[in-house]
Amino acid sequence: MSLFLQRTFDSLANGSAYAALAVAISMVFRSSGVLNLAQGQLAMFSTYIALVLATGPSPFVKFTSGTDILGAPLPLWAAIAGAVLISMLLGALLEKVVIRPLGDDPIPAIGASLGIYLLIDAFVRKHWGGYTMFLGSPFPDTVDDRFDIGGARLWHDTLGITITMLLALLMLAVLQKRTKVGLAFRAVTSNRQSSLLVGVRVSRVLMLGWALAAGLGALAGGLIAGQINVRPDMMGRLLIFGLAAATLGGLRSPILAFVGGYLFAFLETMLGGYVGFIDSQVTLVWALLVLIIILSVRPSGLLAKQPSWGKK
Amino acid sequence: MKGSITSRIVSVLGLAIFATFIGWVAFTATSRTVTNATNAAAMTLAFAGLAILTHYLGLLSLGQGAFIGVGAYCALHAVNDFGVPVVWMPLAGLIGGAIAGAVVAVPSLRLPKAYLALLTLSLAVAFPIVLKQIDGNLPVTLDGKFNTPGWTGIAANDEHIWEFAIVLSYSAIALFLVQGILRGPIGRAFLASRDEPEAAAAFGIPVYRLRLYGVALSGGLAGLAGGLLLVPVNFNDYTHFPEELSIKMFALAIALGGASVIAAVPGSIILIFLPIWLVDHNWVVERGWIGFIKSEGFIYAALLLGTAYLTKGKGFMTIIEKRQSSRQNRPDADPNTQSNIVQTLERVDQRLSALEGWLEGETPDMPSPQDEID
Repeated sequence: MSLFLQRTFDSLANGSAYAALAVAISMVFRSSGVLNLAQGQLAMFSTYIALVLATGPSPFVKFTSGTDILGAPLPLWAAIAGAVLISMLLGALLEKVVIRPLGDDPIPAIGASLGIYLLIDAFVRKHWGGYTMFLGSPFPDTVDDRFDIGGARLWHDTLGITITMLLALLMLAVLQKRTKVGLAFRAVTSNRQSSLLVGVRVSRVLMLGWALAAGLGALAGGLIAGQINVRPDMMGRLLIFGLAAATLGGLRSPILAFVGGYLFAFLETMLGGYVGFIDSQVTLVWALLVLIIILSVRPSGLLAKQPSWGKK
Repeated sequence: MKGSITSRIVSVLGLAIFATFIGWVAFTATSRTVTNATNAAAMTLAFAGLAILTHYLGLLSLGQGAFIGVGAYCALHAVNDFGVPVVWMPLAGLIGGAIAGAVVAVPSLRLPKAYLALLTLSLAVAFPIVLKQIDGNLPVTLDGKFNTPGWTGIAANDEHIWEFAIVLSYSAIALFLVQGILRGPIGRAFLASRDEPEAAAAFGIPVYRLRLYGVALSGGLAGLAGGLLLVPVNFNDYTHFPEELSIKMFALAIALGGASVIAAVPGSIILIFLPIWLVDHNWVVERGWIGFIKSEGFIYAALLLGTAYLTKGKGFMTIIEKRQSSRQNRPDADPNTQSNIVQTLERVDQRLSALEGWLEGETPDMPSPQDEID
């Protein structure tokens, strides 16, 4: 029982990251009808921004000179917060400059999102190199920083990441349900044309959707970097699990995407832990298999309504 | 112009010049260049498969690299484990790729187009991991070889020329067959299901099944390419098919693809020769902003973004095709205006006959404007 509990605890940090990416993907898809395949790379880029802000002026890390004006080296939590803000601006800018001019056709939009994916990857590799860098965790992460529950260890780091992500997602839910901006967002995702007619500034709402998604991804990247380290391909695996989790909600339900994130992390840990022939790498394949089964059995995800591609 | 004696002469001359050029490359270039040209010839098929998906069916596949890998795996194990003769090995790849394509297509095609993109991208990421798990970290060598026949006159140490000829023959035959399929009723049905799926369904075209066949055909072509890639390389390894391969292929197919599968040729040439050119010119070792602009990633990103903005995702070849089409449709394009009018009347008559046939319950076979583009 204690081993099962331990594995459940171990899945929490990854689950938070998957859930955050899944919610970000479904938010963008709901609002603008674009499957943003660059979501993971945006999160990875934000993690490098956090690294720059946390490192301060250093000859070994590119773009750190002059960061002392911003008070760098910043404490890690402040560096991550700064990266989240910068990412939100970047997300809004990408929506306005890259995605919006392409209209509603999915092929150029997916092409453009892949273009952003490649651009970020090339930028990071050519400026910071392809090797692994260490960012650390904003939470206590020594061997003694843990709670012993039922014979299992719940690390403060894991708990901190989970609570922070849950709070961020809760704030997002409150923003959507309790504020005028959230009402506008829901109106746009429900019917863009009608929203325009009643005076909702659709373009601003779409920008907000992209900004929030980028911010959420940045937060996930910054928090999980302490466990998986910073490198250009750090988000590849997370993106696939995030996409799979988003599919649970038919790409349109943030709540099911959120649940899916934790569910896939739980499955990943349990399959890797209890099934002998499945190692940690191959769990990705099982996620893919689950995805195919879900799509075969429930084509619209776990939602009853059939989703539509984009807004016409 | 199309179908006229002049156009046929131009086509035959073009083919003859191309064949002469290929022969010249095969016998005069270095073995490294010929081997790369062999790879490019094989990859043309995978690009043709992508062209079917993107330009004929309006679908998005980000996992073409994985289908190539499936083909290579099936081809290699068909020889090593089942004793299939090496000359038939690429066909095992074709079957494997087609089955993999159908398996991915079945759940995703009933859904918005994003799902096929999503599933194929996942497949592209997962495939190297699976292959590593199955075949291990080390490359698996092919238990067979293409021996150069004596009648060819090719020296024993010039086997790369014979390998090039085999792959080129396979590719040319496959492209010819596929082009034939796409120019016929199936190609028109593909286009109808892309442009007006509801209307196509109303006309009795089984849209879902047709798309399924399209994805399977695309996967089969990629699998065939995978089988052919083993001809010059002789071993298979999980590092041959990373997800970047699929993304680059998608970028090139979107940017260069057009209504003709022949448009796959420049894509495969760029895919194979660009990294070699970058290495030869030391661009890959440069860092910073200059290194960024000279990187493969930047070039592909610029290509994707340029395609998205300048052609709305339809590819640069469509601009050329549109120009050709509009030039052909101009009344002053052909001095023989009377012949134009007769041709137009004939087309109207054909369409009316087809409509009549449909009203009477026969299978419709209406000519589409795509015929003129083709």
